Amino acid sequence: MTAPPPDARRVSVGIGQLAISKDPGEVLVAYGLGSCIGISCYDPQARVAGLVHILLPNSEGKRSEDREPARFADTGIDLLMSRMTASGAVVRRLVVKVAGGAAVLGPANAEKFKIGERNAEAIKERLKRHGLTPAGMDLGGTKGRTLEMHPATGKTFVRTAASPAIEL
Amino acid sequence: MHEQLISTLSTVAKDGAFRAGRGLSGLMGQEIAIHVPNVRIGTKADACDAVGGEETIVLGAYLSISGDITGHVMLLFPVPRALECVDLMCGQPPGTTQEPDELSDSAIGELGNIVGSAFINALADHLNLILHPSPPSVINDMAIALVESVYAEVLSQGSDVVMMDAIFEDHSGKTAGLLLVAPDPVSLERLQRVAA
Repeated sequence: MTAPPPDARRVSVGIGQLAISKDPGEVLVAYGLGSCIGISCYDPQARVAGLVHILLPNSEGKRSEDREPARFADTGIDLLMSRMTASGAVVRRLVVKVAGGAAVLGPANAEKFKIGERNAEAIKERLKRHGLTPAGMDLGGTKGRTLEMHPATGKTFVRTAASPAIEL
Repeated sequence: MHEQLISTLSTVAKDGAFRAGRGLSGLMGQEIAIHVPNVRIGTKADACDAVGGEETIVLGAYLSISGDITGHVMLLFPVPRALECVDLMCGQPPGTTQEPDELSDSAIGELGNIVGSAFINALADHLNLILHPSPPSVINDMAIALVESVYAEVLSQGSDVVMMDAIFEDHSGKTAGLLLVAPDPVSLERLQRVAA
């Protein structure tokens, strides 16, 4: 296994977006996850990597949005699985890591909708339906996170404003 | 969609940003210029560009609005700029405060209070609403994490998002801050009625 080259192309995976990559020259990044959750997955045999940036727990009663196909945990994870499979990955082989779900807006928002917490529950629940349990998690707390998936190695890293990248 | 509402909110946002900017320049003892605020459907990461891009660490304040309508107000500064504001507010030479501390948190909370309330009061006056800002939370994080969390709050309750953002600049053209206001979707209907 090799680390990504220093000039690796950073592919930003924004809110409600999803990226699949087999390219060792790429790094998939979800910048500044607040209450959002980033889910990375990797099939070590097929060497396919994926990253999705979920905004909300549940699509029920909500309009779907073409520009943000992976906005919701339920439909977003289903889409991730189908896109991974279409790229040659096998779901039961996937190594899944998740980070985010923080409450970054402080006490003035604490009693409102607890979106971060609900996102965390929803993604675990949906992954379970696909027979998957995260191999690494960094959820909750009060700080935003940036999540990186390196297709070259299948490794996932998390960093915050205050702390450098650590492998999840 | 919401054409009438967007046009009314644009007027209100302009006055709100003007009052907020006046509050800011009063506190800082210097002239602050206000860009005509953006009122838009949805959100874009470019709201963060004003404070230096998505991953830039910002310091600021968040207030929630309650009363006739509910919503969110956030005032963000790039950290060095926030600390400069603190120095100006405390009557110290800029550069005195090097790191966020208890005193700077309290000054930033007060700044958020004054600037945020100025905007909320403009909204209340123009639309004849009773609105209460919450006490401010001091926030210190990556800009995009804060903006997306407000976006998530709003979208969790409906499918329509209207966000207003106003950029403050000092006399040298440097960004002095970003103000972001988003009513909750349930309040959009009410706003639409009073705007008509």
